[in-house]
Amino acid sequence: MTAVDHDSPARRRWVYRVEDAEPADVALFGGKGAGLARMQRAGLPVPPGFIITTSACAEYVTTGKLPGSVIEEVRAQVAALEHETKRSFGGGPMPLLLAVRSGAPVSMPGMMETILNLGIGRDAAVALAEATGDPEFVLDLTRRLQKGFSEIVLGADPDAVDDAVADFALRADGAPFGETFDRYWALCRKAVYDDVGIAVPEDSWDQLLAAVMAVLQSWTGRRAVTYREHHGIPHDMGTAVVIQSMVFGNLGSPSGTGVAFTRNPVTGERALYGEFLKHAQGEDVVAGIADPETIAEAAERTPEIFDELARIAADLELQYGDALDIEYTVERGKLYVLQVRSATRTPRAAIRIAADLLREGRIEPSAAVAGVSADHLRQVEGPRFDEADLERARADGAVLAAGVAASPGQMSGTLILDSERAVERARVGEDLILARPTTSPRDLQGLIAAAAIVTARGGATSHAAVVARALAKPCVVGCGALSLDEKRRTLTAGERVLQEGDAVSIDGDAGELLLGRVKVNRVGASNPDLSLLMDRAGAASGCTVLASVTTPGQARTALERGAAGVVTSIDEVLASTGRPVKVLEAVARPGSGHAALTEMHQAVAEAFTPLLAELDGFDVDVEAIDAAQLALPVGDPDLLRAQVSGLALAAERSGYAPTPRLVVRDVSDAIEARAIRLLGEEPAEDRHLWVDVRALQATDIDTSTSELLESLAASCESRPGYRIGMRLFGRVSDDIAARLYGLGFRLFAVDVDELRVARLALAKAAWRLSSRRAPTR
Amino acid sequence: MTRAEFEVLNVIVIKGMCRTSSVADVLGTPEECVEETAAALQQRNLIARRGDLLLPTDRADPALGAFAAEAYKDLRSGPESDGLHERFERINGQLLQTMAAWQQVDVGGHRVANDHSDPDYDENVIDRAAKLVERLKGITGALGEHDPRFLRYGERFDAAFDRVDRGDRDYLSSPGLESVHNIWFEFHEDLLRSLGKARAG
Repeated sequence: MTAVDHDSPARRRWVYRVEDAEPADVALFGGKGAGLARMQRAGLPVPPGFIITTSACAEYVTTGKLPGSVIEEVRAQVAALEHETKRSFGGGPMPLLLAVRSGAPVSMPGMMETILNLGIGRDAAVALAEATGDPEFVLDLTRRLQKGFSEIVLGADPDAVDDAVADFALRADGAPFGETFDRYWALCRKAVYDDVGIAVPEDSWDQLLAAVMAVLQSWTGRRAVTYREHHGIPHDMGTAVVIQSMVFGNLGSPSGTGVAFTRNPVTGERALYGEFLKHAQGEDVVAGIADPETIAEAAERTPEIFDELARIAADLELQYGDALDIEYTVERGKLYVLQVRSATRTPRAAIRIAADLLREGRIEPSAAVAGVSADHLRQVEGPRFDEADLERARADGAVLAAGVAASPGQMSGTLILDSERAVERARVGEDLILARPTTSPRDLQGLIAAAAIVTARGGATSHAAVVARALAKPCVVGCGALSLDEKRRTLTAGERVLQEGDAVSIDGDAGELLLGRVKVNRVGASNPDLSLLMDRAGAASGCTVLASVTTPGQARTALERGAAGVVTSIDEVLASTGRPVKVLEAVARPGSGHAALTEMHQAVAEAFTPLLAELDGFDVDVEAIDAAQLALPVGDPDLLRAQVSGLALAAERSGYAPTPRLVVRDVSDAIEARAIRLLGEEPAEDRHLWVDVRALQATDIDTSTSELLESLAASCESRPGYRIGMRLFGRVSDDIAARLYGLGFRLFAVDVDELRVARLALAKAAWRLSSRRAPTR
Repeated sequence: MTRAEFEVLNVIVIKGMCRTSSVADVLGTPEECVEETAAALQQRNLIARRGDLLLPTDRADPALGAFAAEAYKDLRSGPESDGLHERFERINGQLLQTMAAWQQVDVGGHRVANDHSDPDYDENVIDRAAKLVERLKGITGALGEHDPRFLRYGERFDAAFDRVDRGDRDYLSSPGLESVHNIWFEFHEDLLRSLGKARAG
């Protein structure tokens, strides 16, 4: 703790210079304040500032008023800033502008955003115009203050100010800038006042105090209160208020602003990467207003500045153990670091960065694996067009229409023009491409059912685009060349007329609809980065994860993705080879007898031979046929025998050395289990008992279910030779993986597409559990 | 058509296919009442049932349109109609942009899925959405003076934001839930139908 005396209110201090704040005291200075103090202590060039403590907020919340000395202390701190920066707040010759941000010890909703450019009034504006010789810049700062303050503090329409001054022209008649400023301010004032009935204060101190009070009040806003109540965060924790002087990237030369990444956020490559925008403020970069140059280009002009930036970047990365993005500004040749945070990155970069940091010895395997999320994996492994086939299709003129690429991904399937029909046909597992002129809420179920979406109208921010992205489905919107005839169920693209049911493909990356089915590949093969991470994950969890597969192709993908084996079912394998109905009918016929069973035996052998050929040496668990006879206790022994012998024959023909396990459903008592065991030739050791937990994936695990699972896990431990497997379907969440792992289960079967996701989630669960247990050991 | 029938049919037409329970949730009325009204609508061949789903028949749209034309005659011909629509279109654009910002972020010039690793960014986006919803309430409030059913949207948004604020972030844009975007999407449709306007895109 710090030397702050929390117990004597008379001597209490509420406001601290950043230099005097203790970086470890997040409770008193909030996350942002403590972070800023840490950066300052580390010697980073941060703009000077001060912090109003969380205690001041707590006092304000409990007593309803600000402690008496807070405002005095703030004034003293501003005076100190004026002295340090040689600027004056609210006046000239060089005005001091301030930024105010909220900073609670924990991040929560409803808290005030950063308010910039506080301190602009008539005097300051005139002085600044004089100092910079750039009246347009001063008007632009005024606009930003009006817009930010009115939106964040007053709740006005963010466009109100922009619209009001859109046509404002600086007169070339030599009128004093003060008059120009007055006209400009009046326009903004009217727009804001008309919208919310209150205006941005003209006095700099009023601006600053209003911004500070707005931060404190946001602590008691409905949304923040809801969040705290739900998460058991005390209401008297309070938020800190961070007040920092602003630096200008458009003041003299060399000046500018930019964002630097310690590693390339697109590819993950280890090199300082980023942009520099000459003569600009931070917001310009974010808004993409001008074309910035690369850091490499800028460094040619002023190498010493960017050498310093590179040094800072390297130090920071070492300290944080992660790739970072750094917001910086250069004011008259002096570099300032404004913000440092973990860099946002593409999924591809996330994998490379995690693996590189691990190889470089900067982080532990647990941190490396934590750097890759389930969604990162899903995105890199998602279905992609076969490059050669896409080339061919394009060369053949298959592109039907181009629009806006609204949600990435590539998919081919069957064209469908109506949402209700999409829902029906998706039930049989068809990949559907839904085309609509535009979308209404009526299309929601269709959008959910479809594999990809195309619309004739709407832009990147249309309802269809929002829904498609939420569903992570490829989507192209605004294909103006398309027209739909709902009655005749046709889609016209220029000269070409397509019928519902025709094959089409959507390229959500390029924003195109193509005629025909472009071949889709599922990426299986690993790269060295992913392999490294998956190896560490596997070693950490010690789990056996099998993949649910049906075809030899899926089996290959499963092994490429590191499956320990597969789970499959006779029904589905027969169905995939096109033999199911005949065989099952034969078996189901009353008194079908020997001939039908022989046919079954042969069908199983034939269907499984190519599958087992892919899987030699790996576990193969095969679900027995789901026939009515088997629902009876012990089922039909002959039918089971036919399947066992069919599998044995397939194993022999394919050269699969182990014995596949036959998995029989709905076994409910010990005698039944024993009877089934006597039939089979399954191994006496290492038996698997599968539990279908898809119902648990949809809901929270309640206490009674949890107890049941616990006793199941325990009973397994006491009987060597048995393992209980958890069979999951669809998406595997970190949460379900952690719960099942925590209960002691180590055998899992998941969909092929979720294999790596599950292995990663289990490793994360293992590390979390061991870090929790570590102190007691 | 009675007032209650209009309200139930309106929800079914907007949603296209839904359960009685979700109609009841939308209207904030007991399920039995909705069930009763739905039975009457079915008898008049305005809706059909498929399993436990209610869906509009081909006759639903014209019947609903005729009722709305009469019920909202004053609203449509009144001075504020165009203004309300314009105000909505403006914040609709902002809301959709905010949803896009929630879903995707710019990384070195590429749009990539937001991996929600930056809590400050996320909170800012959610705040923006919350502010836009507060602004939308100005519109639903004005409409509520013509028909109090519009006030229900405010309650639905509050419920969704309560979930979001408790940490259930899927309630922002997930299409399978009573999410902020779904409610907004439905209001958009409802507004166009009530004012008798065509959809722009």
